[in-house]
Amino acid sequence: MILRFEEVSYSYPGAAARALDGLDLSVDPGESVLVAGTSGSGKSTFCRASIGLVPHFHHGKFTGRVLVAGRDTRRYPVHELFRHAGLVFQNPDAQLFNQTVEAELTYGLESLGMPPSEIESRMAWASRLTKLDSLMDRLPYTLSGGEKQRVALASILTLRPRLLLLDEPFTHLDPEGADELRGILRTMKAKGIALVIVEHRLHEIIGDVDRIIVFHRGKAVAEGPPRRVLSGNISSYGLNLPPLLRFFRAFGLNETPFNADEAIETLKTQNLLEPFFSRFSRQMLHPSHAPAETPSTIVEAENIWFNYEGRDVLRGVHLKLRKGECAALLGKNGAGKTTLIKHLNGLLKPQQGLLTVLGMDTRKNPVSKISRHVGLVWQNPNDQLFRPTVREEVLTAPKTFRSYDPSWCNQLFDRFGLLPLLDRSPFSLSEGQKKRVSFAAALAVKPGLIVLDEPTAGQDESFRRELTGFITLLREEGSTIVLATHDLEFAAEHATRWLVLSEGKIIADGSPEDVMTDASVMAKAGLRPTQRFQLIQAIKQHGKETL
Amino acid sequence: MKSSAFDPRSKLIGAFVGTLFLVMFTHWVPLAASLGALAVMVLLLHLGRSWIHFLTNLGFAVLTFFVIVSLAFDLLTGVVAGLRLLAIGTVFFLFFQTTSPERLSNALLKTGLPYPFTFVLSASMQFVPVLIRRARNIRDAQRARGIPIEGGPRTLFHLPALVGPLLVQAFKFADELAEAMEARGFGISGRRFRFEPRFRWVDWMVVGISLAVLTAGLAMKFFLP
Repeated sequence: MILRFEEVSYSYPGAAARALDGLDLSVDPGESVLVAGTSGSGKSTFCRASIGLVPHFHHGKFTGRVLVAGRDTRRYPVHELFRHAGLVFQNPDAQLFNQTVEAELTYGLESLGMPPSEIESRMAWASRLTKLDSLMDRLPYTLSGGEKQRVALASILTLRPRLLLLDEPFTHLDPEGADELRGILRTMKAKGIALVIVEHRLHEIIGDVDRIIVFHRGKAVAEGPPRRVLSGNISSYGLNLPPLLRFFRAFGLNETPFNADEAIETLKTQNLLEPFFSRFSRQMLHPSHAPAETPSTIVEAENIWFNYEGRDVLRGVHLKLRKGECAALLGKNGAGKTTLIKHLNGLLKPQQGLLTVLGMDTRKNPVSKISRHVGLVWQNPNDQLFRPTVREEVLTAPKTFRSYDPSWCNQLFDRFGLLPLLDRSPFSLSEGQKKRVSFAAALAVKPGLIVLDEPTAGQDESFRRELTGFITLLREEGSTIVLATHDLEFAAEHATRWLVLSEGKIIADGSPEDVMTDASVMAKAGLRPTQRFQLIQAIKQHGKETL
Repeated sequence: MKSSAFDPRSKLIGAFVGTLFLVMFTHWVPLAASLGALAVMVLLLHLGRSWIHFLTNLGFAVLTFFVIVSLAFDLLTGVVAGLRLLAIGTVFFLFFQTTSPERLSNALLKTGLPYPFTFVLSASMQFVPVLIRRARNIRDAQRARGIPIEGGPRTLFHLPALVGPLLVQAFKFADELAEAMEARGFGISGRRFRFEPRFRWVDWMVVGISLAVLTAGLAMKFFLP
């Protein structure tokens, strides 16, 4: 047994609630385990306790016993345990602290006092495995999110730990980066390293793990092989189930297919292929929010170019968004999504071409004028919080723009569940609550265009549900929405139009189904069709073969 | 970053001696000549573009210094002050362009400085750009909701909108970083470096020449009429 928790309870200093509450579990050598649960269920604390950071670094009240490779973490300091168990943290930025990628990989080995020849050989092995060979001289902070994640992983792999823990490793990855990470994890598993992966997006890794452990309020409430656990009664634990499972549950089926082929087999054996297909086809042809057939143009971009540090980030973008549309902006990391959305409220101005937003030429109008009409909800809500109370935070923009409408703002407080939080400091809120505050703050000026930057990144199922409700409501009110996201399942659920960016150009513009049907576009943009789309395609294919 | 044949310690001694020497000059001619010599070194090391970038950043400080000294004393003293600042800045520009922070901290460790101190020295260089990027993100987020922090005197009134989130993020970041460092053996005894700095004959030559030049300079300053 490589990891053993025996009746472990833990509270952070000053916290009333227990982060871990009588946790009892074990992980065997070479096993791969997925840890699932809502935000605040104790997953990250479990990771920290697995390498001794809890209690040595965080202190607090700790009872029970954690054994890592047979060593009691209470008796061994973190710097004794790190050679046996390595943790890749959630935020890659905050774990890269050296000047080059190469120095990052060698740091742990130097800590262990290894001879230079051993350092060279381990570094070469880890860099090859994580495909970092061409990045070794780069400064870590200049890398993309996916590259940073690989560096963080490699810096732990060089230590060749027997247990590798990863805290939400897929959060910042585009679909291509996620594929690469899955490949690396399979290799690790083949080499006999035990893997513990904490993740909200179950579908990213569920097919590759031996066991799933569900956390709820600091306890392991369900445990076992993925199919057994997911077919059990777990609805109250707020898990973000894989899309195929959600479709099956919505259809009243309790089976647990992890891919389209398995789903087809299940449907075939139960003679449900046809009814399933007709129901899904109806949904796809008549999405719950059909695009508005109105001629009013909200955004019009004509051949816009933008160069940053000598690189063309946008290269001749043409785009027209109409009132009431919900469009998803998709593409790899670095494709130009963030640059394009920063153009939509004038934070960046096109260096060539023309961009008009609600009739305003963004080059001729200041940000302060354009942003009155464009609500931008950023990926990290912490970038904007600075007021002493939630109420003041939400009312900042309306008061700045002198557009305060008390009745609208009260509606927002109610709609976003902020009424009990109004007098609290925004800094004291959970990340999900902060995100709700940033949503309400962006909508408080009644913007004509709403831009959401990676709205689901790192969020659990309950927030996704809330978000679904907000978007539905906004669309019913006729708002125009732009979603910049890697989460294609979410984009397919909400956006009626997909705009695919690759190397600064829009290479596809159409309905989700049309875009996913174009294999060359999907490959170029590093995208993978959604599970729902794969299932429909598989059913169609099956129909043709049967005929 | 240019690699260099010299140990960071000998270069550091050389840079400090050069700085002392530049402080001793009170006439614009030797200062201009020193700056010219430094510029030649910059060009020989193919660092011209980075130097121009560095000078544009230093320009405001040099101009301010020149104006204040000119007003307080006279124009010639202002020119000397401006040239001195430019030359000293270029000395340290050359030092940091040819010395990676990690090699510098390893070398300082060899001189007996404690590891946490030398690590903070190299890590601070690594995190300044990270925090600048965060500050830019915060500025964009605040500008996107109408808070005018685009620069200029009005920004002062809205400084909490920039400083508040930045401080909170910096503290959180420091906490996460400390955890990550702990989890990779920071502070463990018996640490061994892949590149152990070695003081070779060329380094002794740099130290010898630097001390000889400093002695000659001091003699000229205090003993020659």
